[in-house]
Amino acid sequence: MASALQGILGTPSTRRVCEQSLEQGAGNAGNRLQSCQISVRSSHLSAACLSGRSKLFLAASTPSLTRNSRPGLRILAAAGSKKLGNRKLRVAVIGGGPAGGCAAETLAKNGIETFLIERKMDNAKPCGGAIPLCMVGEFDLPLDIIDRKVTKMKMISPSNVAVDVGKTLNENEYIGMVRREVLDSYLRERAASFGANLVNGLFLRMEMPSDANAPYVLHYNLYKPGSSVGVPATMEVDAVIGADGANSRVAKDIDAGDYDYAIAFQERIKIPDDKMVYYENLAEMYVGDDVSPDFYGWVFPKCDHVAVGTGTVINKPAIKKYQVATRHRARDKIAGGKIIRVEAHPIPEHPRPRRVRDRVALVGDAAGYVTKCSGEGIYFAAKSGRMCAEAIVEGSEKGVRMINEADLRSYLKKWDTKYWPTYKVLDILQKVFYRSNPAREAFVELCADEYVQKMTFDSYLYKTVVPGNPLDDIKLAVNTIGSLIRANALRKEARKAVLT
Amino acid sequence: MASSEEERVPATNSAPSEVAVLPQKEEGDSTAQSSGKKKPSPLEKGGTLRGEAAEGKDPSPAALGKKSSAVSGEKFEDPRWKNGNWDMTKFVKNGKMDWDAVIDAEVLRRKWLEENPEASSNDDPVLFDTATVPWWAWVRRFHLPEAELLNGRAAMVGFFAAYLIDSLTGVGLVDQTNSFFGKLLLLITVVGILLVRKNEDLETIKTLVKESTFYDKQWQATWKDSEEQQKK
Repeated sequence: MASALQGILGTPSTRRVCEQSLEQGAGNAGNRLQSCQISVRSSHLSAACLSGRSKLFLAASTPSLTRNSRPGLRILAAAGSKKLGNRKLRVAVIGGGPAGGCAAETLAKNGIETFLIERKMDNAKPCGGAIPLCMVGEFDLPLDIIDRKVTKMKMISPSNVAVDVGKTLNENEYIGMVRREVLDSYLRERAASFGANLVNGLFLRMEMPSDANAPYVLHYNLYKPGSSVGVPATMEVDAVIGADGANSRVAKDIDAGDYDYAIAFQERIKIPDDKMVYYENLAEMYVGDDVSPDFYGWVFPKCDHVAVGTGTVINKPAIKKYQVATRHRARDKIAGGKIIRVEAHPIPEHPRPRRVRDRVALVGDAAGYVTKCSGEGIYFAAKSGRMCAEAIVEGSEKGVRMINEADLRSYLKKWDTKYWPTYKVLDILQKVFYRSNPAREAFVELCADEYVQKMTFDSYLYKTVVPGNPLDDIKLAVNTIGSLIRANALRKEARKAVLT
Repeated sequence: MASSEEERVPATNSAPSEVAVLPQKEEGDSTAQSSGKKKPSPLEKGGTLRGEAAEGKDPSPAALGKKSSAVSGEKFEDPRWKNGNWDMTKFVKNGKMDWDAVIDAEVLRRKWLEENPEASSNDDPVLFDTATVPWWAWVRRFHLPEAELLNGRAAMVGFFAAYLIDSLTGVGLVDQTNSFFGKLLLLITVVGILLVRKNEDLETIKTLVKESTFYDKQWQATWKDSEEQQKK
């Protein structure tokens, strides 16, 4: 019995609490059911369920958390996470970008006392700025946030084979281009309208709590309106959501570990109006060893100018050379343009080794939720912020109880289960098609195929991996292998050829 | 041209302070290591490769706008390349399509472009698709020369393996190929000969296997944490 409990109950702190109230609760089974939700591996669940010797109460599962677990097998161990008495749970969200804004909104909507700490309320974070269609619906974004609706993409191979992508989109489908300062402040204001406290401050560090019910003490510099000098201040909260981006200080404080990151370098270029017409709703992607050894160069249209940029992981010191090469490739189309801004930012390549610790969780870029191949992060940041907040709401029963690490791990479990296939598929695509120039040539050749375009856009715009027609899949696999073999064969021949 | 003379880094830059200042590296110095015990800059950590792995990945001088002396002219030019495609009528030899010449021409074009990347142009798009060359032309050109070599290897390995197994187990060649295990070994041998042609291929396969599970491990790192705590 003890070992079954040990297997199920997870972290030591929850185990102590659960065992204690099991002894209390065993006597009054029909009365109040104090629940603490623990994320468990389903194998442990079935072992304990079937053992028949455990006296754990099986309760009806609440719908929101059991979408991904087997029905009926979720065990709610009778436990007492401390009831907070006359106050609500206090949660601090560090960072006011899409992740922080959505997290704060969900928390505040459900009655939790929320503090959203953001260092620069008008920050225009350097960013590609593309959001998928599903984000507009899922997060109720007003359409005037979207500057431009991109409906066409051009993929350009190292030998300048240009393929038009987007023929399969219907007139309601598009990729939305937004300005980060507009999107971020909209989400923050919405969170504030539900009761979140917006704090203009720079988070410095936090002190870990002494026990399971003690608060986290956050040290930050508070900026009063009109003053640019920060006043040191502290805040006590019960849980922290780290949404402070790729250089997250929260991640440093909880020893979350490091990750590989790409550096994305971008120049905003104001081009003449006649050239801007071409980019009206078209974005371009350039691939090639000259543009980036492991990423792509892009020309994305913004509100009244274009952003030309590139990125790399493995050869970051040469990023400026890659940028020159990208401008060279797009030379004719941006001729006569003036650079109005230069910006660079890191893009995480994979999640940090540790995303949750005690009552601190990381979301968005701070956790490393950026896909490979496309480098998309805004949607996943917003979604992870929301999911983490929902897990906190669930675990604290709308702010009434203290939470623990298991509640935050249930957010991780939900996230990993839901989005792992998406991330893995994009990782495979990156490994196969960004490998070398022949692979990129094959990639562009394949993108000309309508089936590929349809599958790509469906999975990007709606974030679901839709199984296609198996025959078409086989045809696609054969075409892929054929393209790769042809391109590599040409490359091998090139070594023997001599240019005249 | 969006010329580099006009490039200036504005005083206010909203990039996070750690990344905003990019150290100026000289040409050809991109893989130089900072000596001493200095903390690595953001450009040197986070997956940046050094030495050989990153070498040769810098853009070529032509991509940066400097002409290389080996090639004359600015754009790729060939009398048979018209309107972004190869003019198939120019490749007819003795009344038949000479696909080998098409392949040679495309090889030269790609090599030229790799050393002198051109600006992509809307007025003059490239439309050539390698699929226009039929599959048998590819097989004849690239696989057949090696086919003799590979078949020879397969025959030698097969003969030696059959002899060895016969001497160890007494099962003759006909009985070996009748068994399921024998057929499996035959398949493995053939696939092995096709995939492993040089010594370097073994290393490549090992790297590929490692790569295929690396991303999964990075994602599951956070769960290892909780497993360790459970064991305590």
